[in-house]
Amino acid sequence: MGTGRKTIKHTIILLIILIALIIVAASIGAAKVNLKDTSLIIASFIPGVNHFINTARLDPRDIVIISQIRLPRIFLSIFVGIALASAGVIFQGLFRNPMADPFVIGVSAGAAFGATIGLVFITGVGLLGISTTTIFALLGALVTTFLVYSISSARGKVSVTTLLLSGIALSAMLSAMTSFIMIFRGHDLAKIIFWIMGGLTAASWYKFNIIAPMVVVLIIISGFYMRDLNIISLGDERAAQLGVQTDRVKKILLIMASLIAALAVSISGIIGFVGLITPHILRLIVGPDHKILYPTSAVAGGIVLLMSDTLARTILMPREIPVGIITSIVGVPFFLYLLVKSKKQVF
Amino acid sequence: MSRKRKVLSVKNLDFSYNQNKVLDNISFSVEEGSFISILGPNGSGKSTLVNLISKVLRGYEGKIEVGGRDIKELNPKDIAKMVAVVPQYTNPGFSFTVAEMVMMGRHPYISRFGMEGKEDFDAVSGAMEKTKILPFANRKFTELSGGEKQRVIMTQALAQDSSILLLDEPTSHLDINFQIEFMNLFLSLNKKENKTIIGIFHDVNLAIQNSKKIMLLKEGRIFNFGSGEDIINRESIKSVFGSDVFIGRNPVTKKLYVSPVFNPGDDQGISSQKANKYLRVHIIGGGGAASPVMNLLHSSGYTVSCGVINTLDTDIDTAQMLGIPYVAEAPFSPISFISQNKNIEFIKSSDVVILPAVEFGSGNFSNLVSVKEAISSGEKVIVIDEKNIRERDHTGGKAEKLYRRIIEDGAIVVKSINQVLRCL
Repeated sequence: MGTGRKTIKHTIILLIILIALIIVAASIGAAKVNLKDTSLIIASFIPGVNHFINTARLDPRDIVIISQIRLPRIFLSIFVGIALASAGVIFQGLFRNPMADPFVIGVSAGAAFGATIGLVFITGVGLLGISTTTIFALLGALVTTFLVYSISSARGKVSVTTLLLSGIALSAMLSAMTSFIMIFRGHDLAKIIFWIMGGLTAASWYKFNIIAPMVVVLIIISGFYMRDLNIISLGDERAAQLGVQTDRVKKILLIMASLIAALAVSISGIIGFVGLITPHILRLIVGPDHKILYPTSAVAGGIVLLMSDTLARTILMPREIPVGIITSIVGVPFFLYLLVKSKKQVF
Repeated sequence: MSRKRKVLSVKNLDFSYNQNKVLDNISFSVEEGSFISILGPNGSGKSTLVNLISKVLRGYEGKIEVGGRDIKELNPKDIAKMVAVVPQYTNPGFSFTVAEMVMMGRHPYISRFGMEGKEDFDAVSGAMEKTKILPFANRKFTELSGGEKQRVIMTQALAQDSSILLLDEPTSHLDINFQIEFMNLFLSLNKKENKTIIGIFHDVNLAIQNSKKIMLLKEGRIFNFGSGEDIINRESIKSVFGSDVFIGRNPVTKKLYVSPVFNPGDDQGISSQKANKYLRVHIIGGGGAASPVMNLLHSSGYTVSCGVINTLDTDIDTAQMLGIPYVAEAPFSPISFISQNKNIEFIKSSDVVILPAVEFGSGNFSNLVSVKEAISSGEKVIVIDEKNIRERDHTGGKAEKLYRRIIEDGAIVVKSINQVLRCL
């Protein structure tokens, strides 16, 4: 079976799962709406399909709840998940290691620190509708990525131990600096904490409309480098022998993945381990070929985060817990399992 | 017929790494369809040269042309279409299947926005057929044995469909069966498809046996570049690798064969420490009995001579290979008076005479007489009594009688060659 057909098949299966999950997630919450009504409400917003749907007998309150409260959050969580998983695939491929993810290598902490600075010190100024928080998150992520990369690479080879250690060290330092800002700007404390703890709560279509196109564009651009990424996982020297412009491709992908991860962080704060687990599970299903792994992991990332976020907002109803807690509770044991398993392999 | 096309030309190539000059003024050219081996010790710049030609390394001075075009003007994909490298080993970060690995060799032919086409799949299956890996196309690369993995990497390089194959010690950690299998594959690619093969080989003999030309690299310079017959000899190997070797011929192929000189004294530290370079030792030859002693003492650093030996004797070959002066006698002739006198001269000018377990007949009886003369004149004599003299005496007791007299007169008797160094 050709790569293309295999990719399409797997992606379609995942998309069907995702759509089903969207309907389920939209139906549950404080106000119960049954699945049939939920489907009708969602369908009524799809251009072309909406003509065939009669919304007259539906409760207008339900329509508002689903379209203005639940759907923006659902789609935002899907896009954050897509972003985190795509960034995870790229980082894992670049570092030739299944344990790299935006959270583990410190990119998330970098973005969070940048975002905090944006949130606290510069207010109101935005660029093309993009908030300062987002812009600073992007900058923070880029700087951290390059720091971690240059610390852990020697002569084109990335040492896994140094990668993880420098990621942890930089994360710790950046978190400390974020806390420091929080103490000195007491009046912004609530704002920062609310944001850092994984806020998908403040989801709106406005936020979605700004972030989603950027995520899509970056993901598509990176997608054209997946054949190169396959070959780079053989090592820089071998990749160059096979005609890959190793240095250039690595830089492009590193920047892309950092930006994608930073966009996710700028919306939702730090959500760990989605970018780690998702590509790993998908690799078991579709294999390591990035041409298939990348699109399928992206969709699966959306599924994982949507599931986590739905749990986060319903598990202790009416209270909500930050989604980062859910992903970490599931993700950390998984990460440790990988770590133990990898001891048997030679990296 | 017109001259063969030059597929590779290197001019005044200089390369430095961290201010260390790795390659120094390298110039050579390679014709299409050649089979060239690059030999040299570790650190002589072999791999660097391969990496520069394949444009994996940059920042050199000089000019490298592949297929008549300066590689500085070619992008990595263009070069990968002309030059395929087979590295020592490859360790992918993820467990790709064999077919996926081989398809990576088609990267130079697939555009960024395109997909693998029919010609790519054809090239992949064609290459897999040549290396006989089609049966495990869907197996995971990481689960293969070392030799199988290397076959897959070889196939990946073949899928590049290049005119030049650069081999960077492709078989150095494989078993001998794989080494032979790979060499046969290289030879057939060279003959049937006229592929130019430029290889670094770990095994000097593998290289000499199979390549048309050899490049000896020493400290980043070309020490010599030519046919094996012209440039491989004791001196060149000694000077490039710093090791003592015998150069013989493979009895079947009649090609040169290099085998190392092993020094049994080395592990006892005797040769390096105690050897007295000025001590002259004369060894009585005959029937090959002197060869191991010559080798031992020569490699331990003593000044050695040998005599009297017949020209067809293996001891002569040894003496010639080691460059030891010797007294020779025509084949199947008894030792002449002249030869005997020459031998006595050698004995007189040396400090020690060694008598290995030579077989004695009427023809070489005079050698024993010379030894007796030596010990009578007070010279130090060591007798290696490895084999009972009675069994070696073909003179009806004459030799045995004289041999015992020599021992009675104070010759040092040792039971094996290994004990000789201790008595010097």
